[in-house]
Amino acid sequence: MQLVLQNLVNGILSGGILALVALGFSLVYGIMNIINLAHGAFLMLGAYITWQLWSTFGLDPILAVPIAFVVLFAFGYGIQRGVINRVVRAPVLATFLLTFALSLLIETTALFVWTGDTRGVQTAYTGANFTLLGVTVPWAKLLTLVVALAITGILYLWLHRSRLGRAIRATSMDVGAAQMVGVRVAHVYGITYALGAGLAAAAGALLTLSYPLTPTMGDPFLIKGFVVCVLGGLGSVEGALVGGLVYGIVSSFATQFDVTIAGQHLSGTGLQDVLALVVLLVVLIVRPTGLVGRATA
Amino acid sequence: MVAVPKPRRGAITGKRWVFLVSLGLMAGLLFVPAGHSDYLNLTFRNILMYAAMSYGWNLIGGYTGYISFGNVAFFGIGAYCSAVLSKAGVDNLFADVGLALIVNALFAVAVGLPILRLRGHYFGIATLGVALGLTDLASNLDFLGGSGGASIKQIGEAHFTTYYYAMWAVTLACMIATFFIARSKLGYAFVAIRENEEAAQVLGISPTRYKVTAWAIGAMMGGAAGAVFGAANGFIDPPTAFAVDNNVFPIAMAILGGMGTASGPFIGALLLSGANELLQQHFLKLHALFFGGIIVLMILFLPRGLMYLVGLRGGMRRWLSDLAVFRV
Repeated sequence: MQLVLQNLVNGILSGGILALVALGFSLVYGIMNIINLAHGAFLMLGAYITWQLWSTFGLDPILAVPIAFVVLFAFGYGIQRGVINRVVRAPVLATFLLTFALSLLIETTALFVWTGDTRGVQTAYTGANFTLLGVTVPWAKLLTLVVALAITGILYLWLHRSRLGRAIRATSMDVGAAQMVGVRVAHVYGITYALGAGLAAAAGALLTLSYPLTPTMGDPFLIKGFVVCVLGGLGSVEGALVGGLVYGIVSSFATQFDVTIAGQHLSGTGLQDVLALVVLLVVLIVRPTGLVGRATA
Repeated sequence: MVAVPKPRRGAITGKRWVFLVSLGLMAGLLFVPAGHSDYLNLTFRNILMYAAMSYGWNLIGGYTGYISFGNVAFFGIGAYCSAVLSKAGVDNLFADVGLALIVNALFAVAVGLPILRLRGHYFGIATLGVALGLTDLASNLDFLGGSGGASIKQIGEAHFTTYYYAMWAVTLACMIATFFIARSKLGYAFVAIRENEEAAQVLGISPTRYKVTAWAIGAMMGGAAGAVFGAANGFIDPPTAFAVDNNVFPIAMAILGGMGTASGPFIGALLLSGANELLQQHFLKLHALFFGGIIVLMILFLPRGLMYLVGLRGGMRRWLSDLAVFRV
């Protein structure tokens, strides 16, 4: 029972941040039909901005989250308006490769600026944890989860209540109709991509609390974000949240997996992601539009 | 009965003269080992390897219109086939390639039947899942060497040349196979599915059967390249077998050369891999920046690939107006 509870808590803690990583990716994917391979690079930039602020001014990573968000928001808007919008209507592969090349450019530049050395952020609460009902909870991860959920909640409200948020959702439903009622699609695309980049940066800033920094740190998160947003259902906040939590919990319980088949020992710790991917495949085959996805035309 | 217009010549294999030029270039590549340089052999063997993988992707992604992000899985399986055979004491390239063909065909059919029911992005992510899952699985299976990898016995002293010719033969086979498949009933069925799956079904084309066929033949192409690579490299571990570059480069090459054509992958591989190699040689640290820049420019100005330029009528003005369609 203790073990089940501990795994559940671990899963939720890591699932929350995965949901935030997937959120920006999912918005860009669902609304503009762009598989944004630069998402991991944006996450890495957010993490390095946070690290730089911490090492130069001693700023706490949590306080750096909004700064990282704003910087990458502006950067993302510029990239979308200046580069990606030129080919945004091209087949999905064109933007796929374009964002791959952008991530190559960003990661190489980061390698020059910050070198390939592994960096880390130390705070007063790094490594500290508390125990509740026999379950150990690290403060840093709990804080990360709380901030990630708060950002997710704010985004949900903004998308549903604000004028621009509604314009974004309208564009994702029908570009032509949105244009006809006066939505400036190029601007909406710019804002959506900027949001994606900003959310990636916020996730990167939070990840500095528990992960080491390298210029390629974003790559595994890019892939997990990809899986999570399809698992939950593309282009929706709820989808990213559900997908992230499911992924986190499945891979957490997967660590308990331990079998020996024909002399071949298989331990769950190395197969966490395999099992999460098996769940993904099963979900896709049974529910092709994701766990909370709706049927699309 | 409505008369069916005869398809435009070269509509699905690309211009015939371009294919002949490609064949000529392939013949020229036969003389690379005459330079007696291991470096040249290795460089051009890599170009050929990427071309073969790109052909494999082209069948499912280019012709059938199912964009796969996991074709590196077949390359990896092929490479591991060589490793398993070498461990069993068999060091023969024909056996390596033969086993890779069989295993990949079976694996592709087994995996393809469920996931080829998915469309668009969902198919793409499922294929990525398969490739990632295999990477982790290979790292955890002891008989494949686990994360430490497995070594493969090299043959003979002139092995660089032998492996070079083997890769050349694999690539030529992929090229010619693509040409003939595209001009057969099979290829027309692939293109019909790409253009409109429902309409194809109405015409009596079983989408599942043809999709799985395209996927499996593509898998065999990637697998053959992997088998030769494994043997030539002499060592294989999960990051090498399932490298991200091996997943993205073949797609980039097919797009640059021209998706759904019989010479596109080869020309794309020659240009992109060649450029990468030259940049790496001259700008050790900056080459990734240049390489990224080249891809950005290519997508901005040639999103339809080089074959589009070959068929372009109307010059610069037409080119710019065709580009403007993609703007928002």
